[in-house]
Amino acid sequence: MIQINGIKFSKDQIQKLALSALGFVALIYVYFTYFLGPLNKSRASMESSISDLQTKLSTSKSEMTKASNLQKEAATATTRFAAMKNLSPEGAPIAWFPPRMKLFFANHQIDKATARLDGSAPYKEAELSEWMRYTWMIDLPQTDFITAAGTIADLENTEPLLTISKITLKAGTDDPQFQQVTIAANTAIMKR
Amino acid sequence: MALQLNLLHEQIAEQRQRQRDPLKLGVMALSAVGALMLLFYMFKAYQTLGVKNRLSSVQHDWAKVEPNVTAAQKQSKELTAIINTTKVLDTMIDNRFYWAPFLQKISRCVAPNAQLMGIDGGVSDDNKQVTVTIQGLAAGREPRAAAEELRQLLSEQLADSYRDVKVEFKTLEDLDTIINVAGANMAVARYSLGITFNPSAAKASPTPAPTRPSKR
Repeated sequence: MIQINGIKFSKDQIQKLALSALGFVALIYVYFTYFLGPLNKSRASMESSISDLQTKLSTSKSEMTKASNLQKEAATATTRFAAMKNLSPEGAPIAWFPPRMKLFFANHQIDKATARLDGSAPYKEAELSEWMRYTWMIDLPQTDFITAAGTIADLENTEPLLTISKITLKAGTDDPQFQQVTIAANTAIMKR
Repeated sequence: MALQLNLLHEQIAEQRQRQRDPLKLGVMALSAVGALMLLFYMFKAYQTLGVKNRLSSVQHDWAKVEPNVTAAQKQSKELTAIINTTKVLDTMIDNRFYWAPFLQKISRCVAPNAQLMGIDGGVSDDNKQVTVTIQGLAAGREPRAAAEELRQLLSEQLADSYRDVKVEFKTLEDLDTIINVAGANMAVARYSLGITFNPSAAKASPTPAPTRPSKR
C-alpha cells in the first residue's frame, strides 16, 4: 500500500491511475493533432483566402477605373504611337528604306541618291526594347547646296524618327556648281 | 456499552473499493472531457463551415469579376508601355539636332567673296555637342580680313540660336593665286573654320519692359 495525500492506494490502483493518465494524454494528443489542429489550420487558410480575395475585389474596382481613365489619357499617345509604328513597314528595313530614300530625294530633284545600311543595334532604353536603331549612309553625289539644304529640312520634318548624326558637303571636283553630300542618319525602326 | 458486530464488513469494504476504483473514475473523467472536446470540436467545425460558405461566396464573386480585372490589368500594362515608349520616342524627336536651320544660317553668312569648299559636321550621341568644320576660300584686297568677317558673322548668327558657340580658325593661309571677282583682281586665302556649339536653344535675351507713355 502507498499513501498519497492521506489516501492509501494499492499497487493495482496506482497502475490503473497511471493507465488513466496515459489515456488522458493520448486523448489530448489525438484531439489536438488529428482533429482540432487540422480544422483550425483549414479555417485559417480559408480566412486568409477570403482576405486575399476581398482585397482583390476591393482593388479590382479601382483597377478597372484606372484602366478606363488611362485609356482616355492614352488616346493621344496611342494615336501617336500608331503613327510612329506605321513609319516602319513590314519586312526587312534594308528592303524598304533605301527605295524610300531614293524616291524621297528624286521627288526633290536629287537623282542618283543611294542609301546603304551601315549598322544596327538595339536601344539601351528598356522602353524601346521593341525598336532597333539603324544607321544609314545616304549619298547624294550631285546636288547643290540650296536644294540639298531644303531637302534635308523636308527630310527632318517628314521623318520624325530619323536623326542626322553626320553630314558632309563637298564641292564637286568635276563641276564646282554641284556638291556632293553624304549623310549619316539613324532611324528608329520597330522590330517586325 | 453495547457491542456492535459488523458482519458485512468485507462486503462494504469491497463496495467502497469498487466505488473509488481509479480506472473507473479515470474512464468517467476521460468520457466527460471527451464529450466536452467533442462539443468544442463541433462548435469549431460549425464555425469552419460558415467560413467555407463565405469563401465560396467570395470565390463566386471573384470569378465573376476576374476576367474583367485581368483584361483591365493587361490593357493598363499595354497602355503604360505605349505611353512610356511614346514618351521616349518623343524625347528623341524633340532632342534631335536639326541641320537644315544650321545650313540656312551658314548660307546667310557666306558673302560672295567667301567661297565654301566643304562642310563636315557631326553631332554627339547625346545631342549636346555639334562639331563642324568648314573649308573654303576668301578673296579680297585683304583676304584674311574677309575670312575673319565670315568667322565673326558665323559666330554672331550661331550664338542667336545655340549655346557655347565657338568659331575658330583651324588654318588660314594666303595663296599665291589671284582671282577675278566682278572684274577686280583679288588675292585669295584658304581657311578652315572649326565650329563647336551646344544645340540647345540659347538663353532668350531679356526684353525691355514696355515703357508707358507719360501723360502730359
